[in-house]
Amino acid sequence: MAALDRVATSTTDTVVELRGVRKTYYQRVRSARLADVMGNLLRPQIRVVHALRGIDLTVRRGEIVAYAGPNGAGKSTTIKLLSGLLAPDSGTVHALGMDPVHDRVKYVGRVGVVFGQRTELWWDHPIAASFEWKRVVWDIDREQYERMVGLVRELLGLDDIFHTLARELSLGQRMRADLALALLHEPEILFLDEPTLGLDVLVRRRILSFIKQLNRDRGLSVIVTSHDMAELEQLAGRIVLLHEGQIAFDGDFAELRRQLSQRRVLTLETTSTAPPRLAGAELLRTDGGRHEFAFDAAVVKLADLLQQAAAQTDVLDVETHRAPIDEVVADLYEHWLAQAH
Amino acid sequence: MDLLFVARGPRVALIYYFSDLVRGAAAATATFLLAERFDGIGAWTKPQVLFLLGYALLVRLLIDSFFNYNLAHVSRRIGRGQLDHLLIQPQPLWMALVTEGFAPVTGTGMLLPSAILLGAAGQQLNLIFSPGWCLQFIAYLVASITVVLSFEYAWASIAFWAPRAAEEINSHTWDLLQALTPFPLDGLSGWALGSLLTVVPAGIVAWYPSRALLGLAPLAWPDAAVAPAAAVLFAAFAAWIFTRGLHHYGRTGSSRYLDYGHRR
Amino acid sequence: MRLPEDAYLKTASMAAAAFFDTPFFLLEYALRFLRVLVLLALWRTVFASHATGSMTLPQVLTYTLIAEVFAAQLNLRTSLNDAMWDGTLVIRFLRPMGLIRQLAAEMAGRWSIDLVLFSLPLFAIAPLLGVDPRPASPPHAILFITSLALSIVVGLALEQFSGAIVVAFEQPVWLVDYVRVAIATVLSGQLLPLAYYPAGIGELFSWLPFAATTWAPLAIYTGAGNPPLLIATQLFWGITLWPIANWIWRANREKLASYGG
Repeated sequence: MAALDRVATSTTDTVVELRGVRKTYYQRVRSARLADVMGNLLRPQIRVVHALRGIDLTVRRGEIVAYAGPNGAGKSTTIKLLSGLLAPDSGTVHALGMDPVHDRVKYVGRVGVVFGQRTELWWDHPIAASFEWKRVVWDIDREQYERMVGLVRELLGLDDIFHTLARELSLGQRMRADLALALLHEPEILFLDEPTLGLDVLVRRRILSFIKQLNRDRGLSVIVTSHDMAELEQLAGRIVLLHEGQIAFDGDFAELRRQLSQRRVLTLETTSTAPPRLAGAELLRTDGGRHEFAFDAAVVKLADLLQQAAAQTDVLDVETHRAPIDEVVADLYEHWLAQAH
Repeated sequence: MDLLFVARGPRVALIYYFSDLVRGAAAATATFLLAERFDGIGAWTKPQVLFLLGYALLVRLLIDSFFNYNLAHVSRRIGRGQLDHLLIQPQPLWMALVTEGFAPVTGTGMLLPSAILLGAAGQQLNLIFSPGWCLQFIAYLVASITVVLSFEYAWASIAFWAPRAAEEINSHTWDLLQALTPFPLDGLSGWALGSLLTVVPAGIVAWYPSRALLGLAPLAWPDAAVAPAAAVLFAAFAAWIFTRGLHHYGRTGSSRYLDYGHRR
Repeated sequence: MRLPEDAYLKTASMAAAAFFDTPFFLLEYALRFLRVLVLLALWRTVFASHATGSMTLPQVLTYTLIAEVFAAQLNLRTSLNDAMWDGTLVIRFLRPMGLIRQLAAEMAGRWSIDLVLFSLPLFAIAPLLGVDPRPASPPHAILFITSLALSIVVGLALEQFSGAIVVAFEQPVWLVDYVRVAIATVLSGQLLPLAYYPAGIGELFSWLPFAATTWAPLAIYTGAGNPPLLIATQLFWGITLWPIANWIWRANREKLASYGG
């Protein structure tokens, strides 16, 4: 096996390039009804799933890109293409100047991949043993290895569990250890597929903070998929939204909000426990004298709403903020779903 | 449900059948070929060997048909925390264990080979299927099945205390019994034979009942009583250890819901 | 400077260290030991009442014992099935190592422990079981080593072939594994020397790849076979199977990467 080659670094700023990438899966349709089952015996029904329909995507060095979309949009397929696990049916996939499939062995020596639902740790060995194994297999320089181990142990809080068997770790501990393992060889790109799935808020915060620090300090490029939009907004400067295998949006979160919705939340504190009726606003919740409304700032002005409220009751306090990004994107997904039907 | 499984995926079902058939046949092949080549093994004539093999496969068939879906390999259910799914059903645990494994379609891979072997043996031996003999045959089948399941459940009980480690223990214990059952053990003596009648009761599953059913010369003690007596003893021990494990499970809960021991 | 082999050695050592994860490997050793005892007794019973075939009783006893001593090598299994079953095969594609090579390295690691804990002790106590464990002659011993190496080559090809079949036909891995193990048990001479199969069937089976993994090296060891012919057969299957296995493997690479989720 050739020694890992770090000399051929990309001379451009582009670390990932997908051009016209298409990927299709074929699934056999099964039914629970006996009549359908018998019919399928003679004429099996196949469903064609177009996971990706001509994706063009470029990621520059040092970017953190959030890759989002509803279930089945093609997010995991893209990560697998970029990890060298799948090849596109058509189009090209290049990362760090290499084809992830054809140059797999050399390529995986320069990228890191974390799948939220699978671990790379050796199940029946302590974390320390997995790290040492990685040092040998990825041919990590001893000085670099010691430095990175010290860094990840400190920033991800691995000291207490460093000598614990992987199978005895909790989910949060395992994810931190997996992330640390993926970074030991100082990859140039990090692919994260649902990295915070099932984790509590403290662990999530720790992981996000760690990734942002590496991006800041070392220019690590990151592509991350997740269903937690608020988390993605914290982490990434750019969001790529997928819909039915195509890119529906590619920009920053502020632009996403501007394009999708001017949805805002208005909270009124009044002397009355009964909420005022506000035309153009939707009552979200009411609790004693505190009433929360949602409205579209592009359709109805805040001043109008306040005027309406003041006409009906004494307003003691007013609070307004942007709708959470989750709601913005949820509205978009609902819109897509409605269009599909 | 078993029929739907077959109909929904006929290719899988076909491979399932075939794999069961080939597995069972392979287990008996060495003995069969030896008997065929040498016209019997030791004091056992070839038809008697066929009867032994057919009986062993019939025991396997009945277990596969009534205790399928990991009911015989219950350590998997325990180790994976799937016992919870049985415990939340509105029926006693024993009833669930006895009924959930019913696989009258997919569990019958051994039907053809066992029928052929027993049929051939019966014809060549001119066996007389008197009511008494048939009752004895059925009683021994029940005893053999009880011994196998007791052996499996006793070892599976370890999974209550070590769920992750012992999840696949029944794969080992099953292979242990199945690999050693289809052999006439007359050539063994001393501690080796003793082991195969006690610690690893492979000799009780097919060899001893076959000796009694074929009317072969008894060994040191009445052959007729050995299998039923062993079944009672093994069942009692298995019930005891399994119940203890169940009580421990009741106190500590399922491994799936512990903070540690996250599954892959 | 790291040699390319270091990665595989390290992987092998990790697999070896994981061997003692649970004590239940002892159950497997119990099975293997008891099965040897049963088969030895069976052969003695058979030879006591019948004329021998093409092998003498000592040859057959040695065959039975050495089949178990080298069972792991003669019936080669990697962790490919386990990786497919628990969906971790994809993780192995993320390592800068060839997939089959890393699986072989892990297998070699486990072999090292098995050799020390079971194979060598069984070989050592063979005289106590009334079996002469030595090869037929020193030249046969040398030829056996060659044949064993070829057996491993063919075994790896069959392993790769089997894994590719599982994903190509999208079947549960354990189902295909059962069929493969059962067929190999019958066709390879693992439990019964092919010389004792009735009516020329053994002769036919001896030309198949399964016999190349088990019957060939054992026949050479016990002096029961024609070494040049057996080794030539093994070479043929080694040369033939690898390209086919590689082709099927590559053709189903994507399914392999996705098998299990």
